[in-house]
Amino acid sequence: MKALMSLGALIGVAGLLLLGGMIFDVVPSNTVRLVEGYMPIQLLLEVACFVIGFTGLSYMMNAMGMALPRFWQGIGFWIFLMVYLKYRVYPPIPFSVRAMYGTVGLVTVFMWVSANEEDWSKFKRPIMNVLDAQTGMNRLLRYVYLVLIPILIGGFSFNAMMPKSEEPIELRTVHPAPPASTKVHGKTYTLQTSQNPYRVNPDGKYDQEFSNANIVEQGMGRLMKPNANPWDEKNQGYLKYVREGGEIFFQNCHFCHGDNLNGRGLHAFAFNPIPANFTDPGTIAQLQETFIFWRVSKGGIGLPNEGFPWASVMPPWEQHLTVDEIWKVVLFEYWHTGYYPRTWD
Amino acid sequence: MMDSMTQKAGIIAAAAFGVVLVSTSGYSSVSAQGLPEGFKKGELAAEPSAEMIEAGKRVYFTKCVWCHGVDGAGDGPGADRLWPRPRNFNQGTFKIRHTASGELPLFDAKKPIPGQNDLFETVTHGLPGSAMPPWEGILSEEQRQQVLSFVTTQLVKDRKFTDKQSESQTVLQLADLKPKPATDESKKRGGELIVEKKCVECHGMEGRGDGNAFNLKDDWGFSIQPANWHKCWNFRGSRQDPYNVSNIFRTFSTGVNGTPMPSFADNTSVDERWDIANFVNSLCERDPLGNPLPIDPLTDKPKINFVIPSDMVEGEIPTDLEHEAWKKAPKRYVAMGGQITHKPRNFVNRLDDIWVRSLYNDKHIVYLLEWDDRTKSVAEGKLPWAPTQVNIDIKEQDPKTGEEGSIAAHQNNYTVYNDAIAIETAVKWKELPAPIKPRYLFGTNEQFPMDIVKWEADGSLRAFKGTGWDKDFEERDNYEEAMKLLKAEWKNGRWYVMIQRPVGNKKDQDYDEDTFFEVGQYIPTVFFAWDGHNGDAGRKMAVSAFYYTFMNPPVPQETYIYPVVIAVGVVLLEGWVLTRRSNKKKGKTL
Repeated sequence: MKALMSLGALIGVAGLLLLGGMIFDVVPSNTVRLVEGYMPIQLLLEVACFVIGFTGLSYMMNAMGMALPRFWQGIGFWIFLMVYLKYRVYPPIPFSVRAMYGTVGLVTVFMWVSANEEDWSKFKRPIMNVLDAQTGMNRLLRYVYLVLIPILIGGFSFNAMMPKSEEPIELRTVHPAPPASTKVHGKTYTLQTSQNPYRVNPDGKYDQEFSNANIVEQGMGRLMKPNANPWDEKNQGYLKYVREGGEIFFQNCHFCHGDNLNGRGLHAFAFNPIPANFTDPGTIAQLQETFIFWRVSKGGIGLPNEGFPWASVMPPWEQHLTVDEIWKVVLFEYWHTGYYPRTWD
Repeated sequence: MMDSMTQKAGIIAAAAFGVVLVSTSGYSSVSAQGLPEGFKKGELAAEPSAEMIEAGKRVYFTKCVWCHGVDGAGDGPGADRLWPRPRNFNQGTFKIRHTASGELPLFDAKKPIPGQNDLFETVTHGLPGSAMPPWEGILSEEQRQQVLSFVTTQLVKDRKFTDKQSESQTVLQLADLKPKPATDESKKRGGELIVEKKCVECHGMEGRGDGNAFNLKDDWGFSIQPANWHKCWNFRGSRQDPYNVSNIFRTFSTGVNGTPMPSFADNTSVDERWDIANFVNSLCERDPLGNPLPIDPLTDKPKINFVIPSDMVEGEIPTDLEHEAWKKAPKRYVAMGGQITHKPRNFVNRLDDIWVRSLYNDKHIVYLLEWDDRTKSVAEGKLPWAPTQVNIDIKEQDPKTGEEGSIAAHQNNYTVYNDAIAIETAVKWKELPAPIKPRYLFGTNEQFPMDIVKWEADGSLRAFKGTGWDKDFEERDNYEEAMKLLKAEWKNGRWYVMIQRPVGNKKDQDYDEDTFFEVGQYIPTVFFAWDGHNGDAGRKMAVSAFYYTFMNPPVPQETYIYPVVIAVGVVLLEGWVLTRRSNKKKGKTL
């Protein structure tokens, strides 16, 4: 038990040092990098590590006779949570959302310290001590609090009432509901039944297995499979069309969606929000190919009214590309990110 | 190998020798070995292993081929719509190096160490201001080394990185050269040196890259522009650390291969180079306190605040830029991208930011717009279309290099139109449910039109109504008389335009056409800019995202009263809690 707890304590200390170092720029702020696409689960794991670390720390300190009062443990953990949310999570989350997490965190901490009568009285002991002011130290503290609390609350309310010009928060629909069918260049495509005409094997037959076997590998770099080079002259079917789709992508789409399809193209810095990141598992990996076909063809301007607010300057690509070219680009996007399109069954 | 003491002594000796040379021949700072000051001979790195090269091929054909092409000639499918064009690797000409002018860059497949591996750093941090992104976090360190092994051995065709006969490495010892503190004296000397060394001939009197902007060509005959020193985040060699003076020192010492930018190592001392670097660095945009602007790690450009605050002034709004009110007014960075939504698309966008300030009084609101444009463009004669026309005969460039009508053929060779800028605000923005905004490009439809105020370099200031991206503008009756152009000046590569317009009210203005500017409200605002020498006209232009104009309200009285009331309330509450506690302890009940 002790060995286990000391390991936990070690994790806790190391984690805190690392986090502190990254916040104050002692070590580079990308020492532990947030992996794109896995961020939520990574953050949860990290917080879990910290909780294990704190448990170990508290046990060790207890064993060494330097137990931290429950009161400070509770407050300390809540402060840690707020600091973590503010400095660790990137892109930064707005204050209102952090306030929500903070409230939930506060309730959790409160539930923890008031789990039973004994804990609760341990928790409120320091407060009572200061209120009673039996010792000189506590008397001093009491006066400090008596003066500080009104000043702080007054100050906060002054700050809150001062007129401000913060950016209004904008909500947007990430995946608006698609229509049943869409008409592109005079032909109607039913989204449920349409297939990408270029997802074919060398014999020209629609073949999802063949194409799935030739997409890039997941993992760092998302590189193409050895012997599945779209630039090989001998390619027939799927890989040949991937290359053609790539050519179209790099003449039209990469300006915004980026060379690595991560939404950080040449012009992306001027956008708000920045363009969609296809390498994120929350975008094209969640959608059917026909949905992408519809979004690409109709663009931001073609979003249905339920899709408001648009917040999308995606052009209706039917103005610039043929139907074949759009299908090829969609094919390329799935190839390059290594995701399989979702299917209806 | 020299230890650092003897090395320092060597540099001092070299400097002393340089002084002697100055007095005799006027040719300074070449050390006894014939090397420029600050440089040392280096060894060529060993050839990367065959496995590295083979693995690199896989990386190259997944990620790089799309712009750099199958043979690395910088002619991939993406190349023809990019400016600057992707690098042609065949000649072995690389821009950002630690090596002397004309030499190959540092590359060692076994040493991914910053400062000792130029190509690795280029791939890691990308080349800001071009389409080359940073590959850190996308490709692993090993993958980056692999792809470079492939490029340097297979795609660099005219030179060989390992050939001791033809190649040499003279390496700038940047790690050993301590930056000189950027004192006023150092910057002043740097400011004099950039004139003396003729930097201003290309980079312009204020360093905005506006000198000799039309006659410069790179090694492949493509037109090229001098860097704008005020946008250090666009420096190719900024290594995602734009305010670091060492980057400027390095580029100045080694030159930029393949471009007209020479190395100044032979005719400046290290000390002089630091002065120049300090001066150039001091020109980069900073906040009012003189601190570097915060850079957004997602885009490697300055962080954007989408609210443009407008401060109130009593009486007339001043037109003098040096006026206290303008100096105090917060300055906002407005990022501009090419309009690539509807034809004709603007793939090569020359105007990538505008700096906006605003002031208002009870009748008017004034926008002060400043942006860098290397050329003042005023169309000769009358334009072949009416000011209201949007659907005009401007062709989108064909994506074929070398052919008539391609971007490459057009670069610096357009018919010159007017430079122009426009502010677009939403009409009836109050009727839009909270987060809904009309379409950014000239409005959505008749129901949600836009109020567009456009200034052109011919001196005109016009007001239009926009009802859709493909609709020509509608003229607005006598609104122009209510507006006023307070300033329009082009100086050393920068436009300063000050536009005044009424804040509007229901009584005098047309509710269906004019935006009413209301104090304390977020008014959706978009900016458009045209560079006449880039052939910009109609929809071929630079656009911003939606920003908000926010007229700061005067602070209401309550702000000072309520907090005091609350504080007093808290004091009373404290008293109550304490009394209760002590009563309880004494066994009394309240």
